Amino acid sequence: MTTKARPTWKDGLRDVSPVIIGLAPFGLIFGVTAAAADVDQLAAWASSFIVFAGASQLAIVEVMGTGGAAITALFTAIVINSRHLMYSADMGRYTSDLPIGLRARMAYILTDQAYAVTGTRFPDPNHTEGLPSYYFGVALGLWTTWQITTTAGFLLGQAIPPEWRLEFAVPMVFLALLVFSVKSIPGVLAAVVGGTVALATMHLDYQLGLMCGAAAGVLAGLMSERWFV
Amino acid sequence: MTMWIVVVLAGIATFSMRFAFIALFGLVAVPPLLERALRYVAPAVLAALTVPAIMAPDNALDLTNPFVPAAVIGGLAAWFTKSIGAAIIVGLPALWLILWLT
Repeated sequence: MTTKARPTWKDGLRDVSPVIIGLAPFGLIFGVTAAAADVDQLAAWASSFIVFAGASQLAIVEVMGTGGAAITALFTAIVINSRHLMYSADMGRYTSDLPIGLRARMAYILTDQAYAVTGTRFPDPNHTEGLPSYYFGVALGLWTTWQITTTAGFLLGQAIPPEWRLEFAVPMVFLALLVFSVKSIPGVLAAVVGGTVALATMHLDYQLGLMCGAAAGVLAGLMSERWFV
Repeated sequence: MTMWIVVVLAGIATFSMRFAFIALFGLVAVPPLLERALRYVAPAVLAALTVPAIMAPDNALDLTNPFVPAAVIGGLAAWFTKSIGAAIIVGLPALWLILWLT
């Protein structure tokens, strides 16, 4: 890094552009799903900038649209997004010298992809020259893409014929995120137990099976650490 | 109205989790048990969302439904490309092909 110029937002935007191409279909699918779901349409659309976390937005629309309880939807969204605590803990090491207002704005647009791309460019918390500018290039690129593609999907929504089976894209999104998230044997066990318990409890009211699966999976992962780590 | 409440509360909670340790750096350490548990949250909850949707799309376990093979193909596409978009762009046409063939 010593010979390289201080990175700017343009470098961030360039580094994140391949990620943006992969994110666009996800945004479209969220918009289309929200437009077709039996929920308050405006609230579903507004979640793109109020929550700004795709998997949890999709989960809220899924749970609320299929007769799930509000508490299940909220719990599921919070559980899905709890991984941001990890990113926050790691990002904190890089941002401790920055003004608190700037840190708050950085936190609002903190996503899996923004964290991963920025972490790759800045592997050392002691060398953060140009980090805020670079980070805003990455994260605002992602934010803008998400707003445009979810809105476009939302407007297209009703025009898409049901024979296209676009609803299948929803589990595909979760499956892709699942594939990325499994990084160890306890992680595999967390997924297997979480999926199996959710399947076994899927007939519970208010989609409570989702919570049972999530809790059982986390416990399975934690308890299996002693054998596999 | 319920949907608005859920969205706003989810937004507040999500921002709080994103900001928590960025704001508190140096003041509060991440509790070790939380740090360990967080590693398994993503696989557990994502599997809980995915498995019933693919293996029981009509609320009854059916391992021969067309979603299963299409999901295997879409999942492999995600695995090899590390891209959510690829899972959709490969998985959905795979489903159309399976539906057309059967």
